[in-house]
Amino acid sequence: MKIRRKYLFYALAFTSAIISAAVAALDATISSLYITDPWAFGVSCFIVGIFISLLILLIFSIPVKKGKSLGSKIIDPSFKRIRLVRKEEIKYHVLAGFGNAVLTIGYFFLLSMLGNDPSAVIPFAQIVILYLIIMESITEKNMPTLIEIQSSLIVTFGAILVSISLTGTITLQSMVIVFLVINPAWVLFSIYQRKLKMLKIDGRPNDALNIRFWNVAFACMFTIVIVGSYDLATGNNHFAAGITASIEHFWWVALSMSIIFFSYVFYIRALGIGKASITQAVRASTVLFAIPFSLVISYFNIIPPFTTDPVMILIKTIGTILVILGIVSFALNLLKAYVFINVKPGYPIEETMDKLWKIHGVTRVAAVAGPYDFIVKIRTRTLVKGYERIIRKIEEIDAIEEYKWQSVLKEWEKI
Amino acid sequence: MINAYVLTVMRTGNSDKAIKEMRKIENVEKISVVAGEYDIIIRVHVKSLDKLLKVTNELQMIDGVKKTTTQVIEKEIAL
Repeated sequence: MKIRRKYLFYALAFTSAIISAAVAALDATISSLYITDPWAFGVSCFIVGIFISLLILLIFSIPVKKGKSLGSKIIDPSFKRIRLVRKEEIKYHVLAGFGNAVLTIGYFFLLSMLGNDPSAVIPFAQIVILYLIIMESITEKNMPTLIEIQSSLIVTFGAILVSISLTGTITLQSMVIVFLVINPAWVLFSIYQRKLKMLKIDGRPNDALNIRFWNVAFACMFTIVIVGSYDLATGNNHFAAGITASIEHFWWVALSMSIIFFSYVFYIRALGIGKASITQAVRASTVLFAIPFSLVISYFNIIPPFTTDPVMILIKTIGTILVILGIVSFALNLLKAYVFINVKPGYPIEETMDKLWKIHGVTRVAAVAGPYDFIVKIRTRTLVKGYERIIRKIEEIDAIEEYKWQSVLKEWEKI
Repeated sequence: MINAYVLTVMRTGNSDKAIKEMRKIENVEKISVVAGEYDIIIRVHVKSLDKLLKVTNELQMIDGVKKTTTQVIEKEIAL
């Protein structure tokens, strides 16, 4: 099936956001009623998570027709079957796994500090968009445009406003966890999962199902090391409490981890299509989806009742509008183009290819046989930026004889 | 595996129907409608040159396609 790439991206990111909001409410219930120790909850999540993720992966590895697996049919067309981690994946899995371990423990800490209300906790994690924009400008040679910065700030401030309403208090300790623990860890988690998704394994795009399973495995290893070291240093017994919680509340944690598995698989697939900051911005819509789930668990007295103060309701409404505006603004501003290039004789192809690849906004350089020598794919937020940052730079390359710009009006892609 | 771009010039008036036909071809990975010298850029992923010939032939048979130019990718760098 071929659908417009943009629709697929939004469908994946929104599905991930809805599932994530539902799981946050489930986590809040477990944290409030069964596993009150955030360290123990973190340990139990990953220990139970490994078994559950493995089981899901084995089910999706079942071959159906034409040699394709169940997972490839219904979840990710790149998936073949469960496999071991490849050598080239290890460093990315180590960093993404470490990020996941730290952010999960930080998340449960925040949840227990903010009265177990997911609609208050989830928005804080959206500040990661700002971190991601800074990181991407360094690692992906893709400087953010004014529109990207504006939209990210709108989403971030909106998310913060949505988070204030229920308890009405923000402590310094929770801010430290948000800015120095959860969000930097999320940057690692997100950037390196994207790198994994962009890798080619056996000539095919890497699949989200194996990436998720191995991420849980690496995160489990790091969680055990972090919690174990903390226990040794402080004389606490969180690790043992985590093992006990894994056994006593296995089915609750298993339910949470099996649902979140799909949220992350869709998130990883979206990461393979869009930049990490934009994927995160769309996924920030989870703050809106968290509200009805919070109302449900508040109705059952699992968390304190919602405020009826009109000022707080107004703040929450403004925050919600800002999040939606920010996401829409991201969605409507992306231009793509092909540039066909002919080169002069006497210049090495490899050298020209490297020069083209170094230009900001170039996402693909193909040396081709035919009437042209290179086909370059470009992504830019504005035409002005396309001229200033791309065309001018192409013209500066001596080897280039002539070029033709073809703006993309609409695009479909095989999924 | 062979990747190629098929640059297509269309006759006016038939693009929508032609794109629907192109989307049905199995080895077509991406279809981009563009503004410029060409009208549609198609990215194709095939196992052999024989298969590439078959796909380009299928594309040329679509009503509305006026001219195709195939550019086989020799080397590629992508994000």
